[in-house]
Amino acid sequence: MKFGIIVTVASLMCGLMAHADRPQFNDKEAPQSLDDFRAIQKALQTNLERARAATVCLEMGGGSGSAVIISEDGLVLTAAHVISKVDQEITVVMEDGRKLKGVSLGLNSETDSGMLQIVDDGPFPFVDVDLEDTTKLGDWVFALGHSGGFDKERGINVRVGRLVRQADATIQSDCMLIGGDSGGPLFNMDGELIGIHSRVGASREESMHVPLREFQAHWDELKEGKFIGSGSFAKKTIPGSGFLGLITEKAEEGGLRVTEIWEESVAEKAGLKVGDRILEIGGEEATAEGLSDKLAELGEGDKLKLKWMSGEETKEETIQLEKRP
Amino acid sequence: MKITTIFLLIAFALPAAASSLPSERRKNGPLIQDALGPVQISLQESSAVFYNNATSGPFIYGTIVSEDGLILTKASELEEVDSYYVRVGTRKYRSVLVVARNQVWDVALVKIEATGLIPVDLSREANLAHGTWVVSNGATERRFRRPRPGIVSANKREIPGGSPAVLGVGLDSKDDGVYVNSVTEKSGAEEAGLKKGDLLVKVDGTAVKDRDGLIEYLKTKDPDEVITLEIKREEETMALEVTLMARHKLYGGTTSRNDQLSGGEVQQSPRRTGFPMVLQHETMLTRRTVGGPIFTLDNEFVGMNIAAVNRVEAFAIPAAELGAIVEGLKKDL
Repeated sequence: MKFGIIVTVASLMCGLMAHADRPQFNDKEAPQSLDDFRAIQKALQTNLERARAATVCLEMGGGSGSAVIISEDGLVLTAAHVISKVDQEITVVMEDGRKLKGVSLGLNSETDSGMLQIVDDGPFPFVDVDLEDTTKLGDWVFALGHSGGFDKERGINVRVGRLVRQADATIQSDCMLIGGDSGGPLFNMDGELIGIHSRVGASREESMHVPLREFQAHWDELKEGKFIGSGSFAKKTIPGSGFLGLITEKAEEGGLRVTEIWEESVAEKAGLKVGDRILEIGGEEATAEGLSDKLAELGEGDKLKLKWMSGEETKEETIQLEKRP
Repeated sequence: MKITTIFLLIAFALPAAASSLPSERRKNGPLIQDALGPVQISLQESSAVFYNNATSGPFIYGTIVSEDGLILTKASELEEVDSYYVRVGTRKYRSVLVVARNQVWDVALVKIEATGLIPVDLSREANLAHGTWVVSNGATERRFRRPRPGIVSANKREIPGGSPAVLGVGLDSKDDGVYVNSVTEKSGAEEAGLKKGDLLVKVDGTAVKDRDGLIEYLKTKDPDEVITLEIKREEETMALEVTLMARHKLYGGTTSRNDQLSGGEVQQSPRRTGFPMVLQHETMLTRRTVGGPIFTLDNEFVGMNIAAVNRVEAFAIPAAELGAIVEGLKKDL
């Protein structure tokens, strides 16, 4: 009984403290005076520099989107439909144009959350995350992103607005977004990350974001590189759709002898030549069955590591499969 | 390699169970407009509204730059309408005269017969930090200019876009000169009879040395001006008079996915590139609400809206640049 009272008092105090921390303008129906607008501006500008430093552009395979760094060692949150695949190489571009190497981790195809790791050495600028899920309907927020793709002269685009709808796996703001903003960050006025841009409505004032709680719900799976769900934001690779572009036969010395190479194929681009002898496929000894099993399992965009002898030379390459013609 | 953007998907509505903020409380809602009352006074005083005589609908704003009736507006939009009248505050002005144009900035200076107007202050150097509130004209009522808020959203910068006046040809630089390698349909070049393979010898009496030189020369010209091209076709030399065209009229109508997402040229200004310097903000403008002044929360004039670019970007000509433009245009009076 006594214990129960203490808990109640403690939670009440937490409630009061959280309330005191909230910027006053968030608890007003709307700004009452120009000073309320000035307070919003001040909060935004106080947190903008750090938020901009951690907001990046993602470039891969002819497309671009946005994302945000959330740890010193380069963990990045973005949208599933931006990375579209797990374990894919992606170029990460900082606002000043500096390019870094990244690899996509997991994604949730049903809610549009996605994760990526920068593989270059840090430390990197990063933002804090609203772990407590404190934002409420009507809160003022700001959105960043590389609208329409990276533009060094323009820099990152900033937008301000309010949280206008809340649902479990989606939050909606009236910050205006456009293509290229996808995967970019939505912040509360304390500069904490609260969501990732996902999609827009027909009106310019309808923007949907994946809330941070949705990332938290699948954190470990995303970090482990899992492809979650069978939703519309990303399509799982179709097994058997990958193409290497070569024909082999069993080699007497062991492994597989390349007998034909398709022009312009990924095999040719990786440097394979007719007469070369493949020693290992995906880290295992090369056999005809092993190769056909692998190709049946993998799809377009998936990667396959090959080790082979070209004349006297041993070579090794990780080849990204193209679409089977 | 050309990088295309990953597009936002058009969303399905959120579930009905979702909690929702009433529209009057949203960023562009009436409660927010009410709180901007002190800035609305400046918009009311120093904005002009251009109404189409044929439809009686407002089609563009203007910015008042002199007490005796000089107004600056977006030239390419004004040219689209045959006859118009102007409102300032609650007063209506039937007689409107275009007195000068600047094609580089796409502005026109017009004159109405008025006295005692309240012009904007063109002297301020506007170096506003990202996130600074600015207030533009939204939709207008007959007597009341509605304020619309937004923030400075990106770096102040030049927007490339080439010359506003074009011939309508593709050019090919060879060792012995500049050749026409394509002629755009319905261009001034086609009308004048230019053909693929023509060698460009002289433009307005000056020898054409290289492609860049010709392009630089065209930058000094305005749409609808006529230039004389001396060309060589096979062994024959001939002079052709070519009427230049506005680039956005000849090559406009871009259809990128982001343009579609922005409502196309119903919402976007057709002329939205090629400005020597702009202030970018994210006030929700449309093609029909540019031309007017923008103010800070302290009623300082910081620029004139010149283009509704897309769903997220609006451009304004900064106040100091506008001051220089007005000085230049007044010399033409």
